[in-house]
Amino acid sequence: MRATLEWATLLVCCAALLLRVPDAVRGRNRTVFGILFLGTLCSVLAVSELYELIDRALGGWDLTSLILRYLVFATVLLVGLRVTRGLAADRAHQLIAGGIGRWALGLGCLAVTLAFFLMDSYGSPEGLHAQAADGAGDADLAPWFTAAGRTYPAFVSLVLVAPLLAAVRSRLPRLVRAGALLVLLGAAFAVLSLPAALTPSSWAGAQHFVNYAAALGYVVGLVVFWFSGLIASPSGNARATLRRNRG
Amino acid sequence: MPLPAKAFQHWLHVVAPNASTADICRISGIKRTTLAQQLVRGKVAESTLVSISRALKRSPLADLASFDSYAELAGRPLPPTPAELVSQIATMDLLRAVISRSAPAYGGYGDDGSALTPALAPAPHATSVRNWVDAIDDGELRHRVSDATGVAPQNYSAQLTANRLSPELAVATARAAGVGFTGGLVATGLLTEAEAGWPPEAKQAALDALSDGELTALAGERLQALGKTLRRQEHEQEQTKKIWENLG
Repeated sequence: MRATLEWATLLVCCAALLLRVPDAVRGRNRTVFGILFLGTLCSVLAVSELYELIDRALGGWDLTSLILRYLVFATVLLVGLRVTRGLAADRAHQLIAGGIGRWALGLGCLAVTLAFFLMDSYGSPEGLHAQAADGAGDADLAPWFTAAGRTYPAFVSLVLVAPLLAAVRSRLPRLVRAGALLVLLGAAFAVLSLPAALTPSSWAGAQHFVNYAAALGYVVGLVVFWFSGLIASPSGNARATLRRNRG
Repeated sequence: MPLPAKAFQHWLHVVAPNASTADICRISGIKRTTLAQQLVRGKVAESTLVSISRALKRSPLADLASFDSYAELAGRPLPPTPAELVSQIATMDLLRAVISRSAPAYGGYGDDGSALTPALAPAPHATSVRNWVDAIDDGELRHRVSDATGVAPQNYSAQLTANRLSPELAVATARAAGVGFTGGLVATGLLTEAEAGWPPEAKQAALDALSDGELTALAGERLQALGKTLRRQEHEQEQTKKIWENLG
């Protein structure tokens, strides 16, 4: 179940990234390409096999898991800025880009870094979980490290919920609303993933589902936004123009 | 509620005993798949019946009345009220009437009867459904329709905004307002004015009967509503554009 989710997420991210390559080459909306690029990078590191491969190359002391958290933070920051800008949600944008947002990002980074060095353990996250099961060492900090890694994404997602909900309930074109709904689902799961990190390890299946559903919601939502713009004809959504009333 | 397929097929057998389904579709311009689907589902749309009745040179109103759910349409229909007639005049025709009544210096003819202005466009127009309901609404109409049919007020309003109303709701609305049953069917475009038995000059006569003040106020209301709709659409387009610029 977990492997399927990991590879499926990676596959979706890669597909989304490839779809956006032509636009990025043309110089259109490179930020969205950057978001998808970072997202793909995160999902590469989230695949257990690839994670171990990269971690071994980096010295094998789990530094990769810290890097992964930072990458997730960067991705989420960019998503938050872009989505609030796109939905013209000035207050939400201010929350993410302004002082509160910077404090949240700073505290989030501090929390993961602290938790990471406090853990002071070796081996992959799987190893950490195994240790936790044995009750050995500082491994019971592992869930706290995971939770710390989800604080900032949860904060940004929480900020995004209101403007996304407004977009879903608006009378914008259907595909745009569908995209907003998917991103909203992603945001909701991202918020849920914070408490989910602290649930007992017997709930691992649900934990992973929440985590990957959040990533998939965001990525697929962005693709739907892109697609809706792609197929939109300039004359669309014109129900009662003056021309029609000219009778 | 659309017409039951069984009753529809019985009707079809009576009015066109020798015609095949293919013939019926060809003369009425209905897609064969559409008709087949409606028959399979057991519910035939009123517009299907009207198209076939029209193609067979029959009276769509009388044919509709031959079904149980539209039995009220039978007999001599109540003629439309002047307010209903005026509601079926397109906004641009109302504005043209305003100009036409004005002094020649402003492009008008100064005539009262608007004899020189072009003929009014046939109903329905871009906001005919809402204008019709507004014309017969005493303030409580929407609640009465909602109570009588079980359709939620917001769903009813959404249909009006989209300039749609199911024939069943159109009849229910007319019943709740105590006006003739043809008004809603004309406003939704199911029947033409002639098919509904409206005299050809009725709309023009109702327009001419409006005083300058009434006409101007009405045209102003319509223009304001149109402006609101257009502004909302422009705002939505702006929003959509912004989403695509940032996320597309």
